Amino acid sequence: MNSRTFERFMILLRRELWESNRLFIASPVVLAGLILVAMLWALLQIPEPMKRQAIQQMETYLQGVSPFQVMPVFMAPAIPFVIVLYVCAVIYLVNALYHDRRDSSILFWQSMPVSNLATVLSKVVTVCFLAPLFAALACGVLILFSVTAISVLAASYDSVIAGFWSLLGAGLYSILLVYLTSVLGALWLFPTIGWILLFSAYVKSLPYLWTFGAFILLLFMEDLVFGTQFLANWVESRTSNYNYIVFSVGDFFQRLLSYDMLIGVAFGAVLLVGAVNMRRFAD
Amino acid sequence: MEAIVKASGLTKYYGKFKALDGIDLAIPAGAIIGLIGPNGAGKTTTLKALLGLCNFEGQLSVVDRDPRAARHKLMEDVCFIADVGILPKWMKVWQALEYVAGVHPRFDRVKAEAFLATTEIQRHSRIKALSKGMVTQLHLALVMAIDVRLLVLDEPTLGLDIIYRKEFYDRLLNDYYDGDRTVIISTHQVEEIETLLTHLVFIDRGRTVLDLPMTGIADQFVEVLVRSEDLEEAMKLQPIHTRNLLGKKACLFENRPRSELARFGELHTPGVSDLFVAKLRSQKLREGV
Repeated sequence: MNSRTFERFMILLRRELWESNRLFIASPVVLAGLILVAMLWALLQIPEPMKRQAIQQMETYLQGVSPFQVMPVFMAPAIPFVIVLYVCAVIYLVNALYHDRRDSSILFWQSMPVSNLATVLSKVVTVCFLAPLFAALACGVLILFSVTAISVLAASYDSVIAGFWSLLGAGLYSILLVYLTSVLGALWLFPTIGWILLFSAYVKSLPYLWTFGAFILLLFMEDLVFGTQFLANWVESRTSNYNYIVFSVGDFFQRLLSYDMLIGVAFGAVLLVGAVNMRRFAD
Repeated sequence: MEAIVKASGLTKYYGKFKALDGIDLAIPAGAIIGLIGPNGAGKTTTLKALLGLCNFEGQLSVVDRDPRAARHKLMEDVCFIADVGILPKWMKVWQALEYVAGVHPRFDRVKAEAFLATTEIQRHSRIKALSKGMVTQLHLALVMAIDVRLLVLDEPTLGLDIIYRKEFYDRLLNDYYDGDRTVIISTHQVEEIETLLTHLVFIDRGRTVLDLPMTGIADQFVEVLVRSEDLEEAMKLQPIHTRNLLGKKACLFENRPRSELARFGELHTPGVSDLFVAKLRSQKLREGV
């Protein structure tokens, strides 16, 4: 990829964020704001002895433990962010290749020297790599707030907890892990992304109904015609969290390069080729 | 002159409906072509085929390319405004500028900004908040700043008031057209663009009914205001169309020498709209539709 192609692709990504800033930027920021207010309120409301007790428990718990082993604690606030991210990603993908056909603005996009492949790729990169970035950063604010609050409280009770800097290091590292987990989650669900985009490029109306209805129908038909549950089992395996929650960068690469992951990405890619072709003569 | 668009036997079906029925076109570089036809004649389908937006049968080359092969490459040399109000509503004016500047190698941002400065469009406005006329102004500002060889306008002024319509074509002619670029304008409001055009293409029910340079109209067509006593005589020469005008009969002849017709009355070259009606009616009569 030469620099000109890269610059052009960057503007396509900016375009996606201009259009979907509410879904991918505003919603995690608002969520972080709400949780932050709740945390502050809790800090003010919890009686002094309880806070002292909590800090002491933490001190005992953390004795002799490297701060990097407590990262799972810091990753917990990511759960609501990941849920919101998934909901927003589905809304985004269903409309990604549908909305501009509905309001005819596709003719404006098609009048520019941008290939359908580049357009579809920009949507995929947005949902797999950019959206998780904003979710992880917003969640990171909460993680950093927690680290600071624990350190300040500990200092005021003369407790010794791991040390501020190593807690901070653990916090920052867990932000990275939240990001990698979200990315891996998106890649793990890559066939879903391909499926939704294929329907988004194809349907003329009722995109949600078609996208999900067709899949449910397929599940049903398989059972009815072949008496098998291959698809259902496959969905079950894809939705089990075990496969994409990572606790280290090493985990990330190991899971990324696993056979199951690559098969899913390849299958999703086939569906994306379908979406690109569907868009060629669409209006 | 070299043809920038060459089409032969362009055919397109929508299901069983034949939208294009063997269109032939040869559009010379540097022309301003009016693609004129009634609603549903196949204008938009023809343009879509030209722009690589639909599949078709037959031969077609646009700027020496097959439009189906790589639309995004074609769009470096061709630009189009498909209809009013197709700019994405969620976008802001500055974002539209930024986007086109980012993706189009032939976009001159300074030129677009200069054009916008002559309008009341604010850079931070959302396109949704602009009036229909302003959206068209913005689109024109973007498109005129792109240096392409072929510009295609499909009913560009549909739904605009007369002031915006006039301004649109004035700007197009004065600030954009330079004699090298080719412009195709499709419309059914003929009068509006009549004076702009160098070439005329009529299409009806998916077929080319007429294709000639504006200068050829006078050679090929003549309208005579026939005196009532000469009417019978004139009708023998088979005018393609007649209409009542100021108590007389205006008869339109195709390929008849003026010398032969002068004896019936006053001769003049028909306007494009009269010619349009005449050609369409005569075509329908001939086919018994």
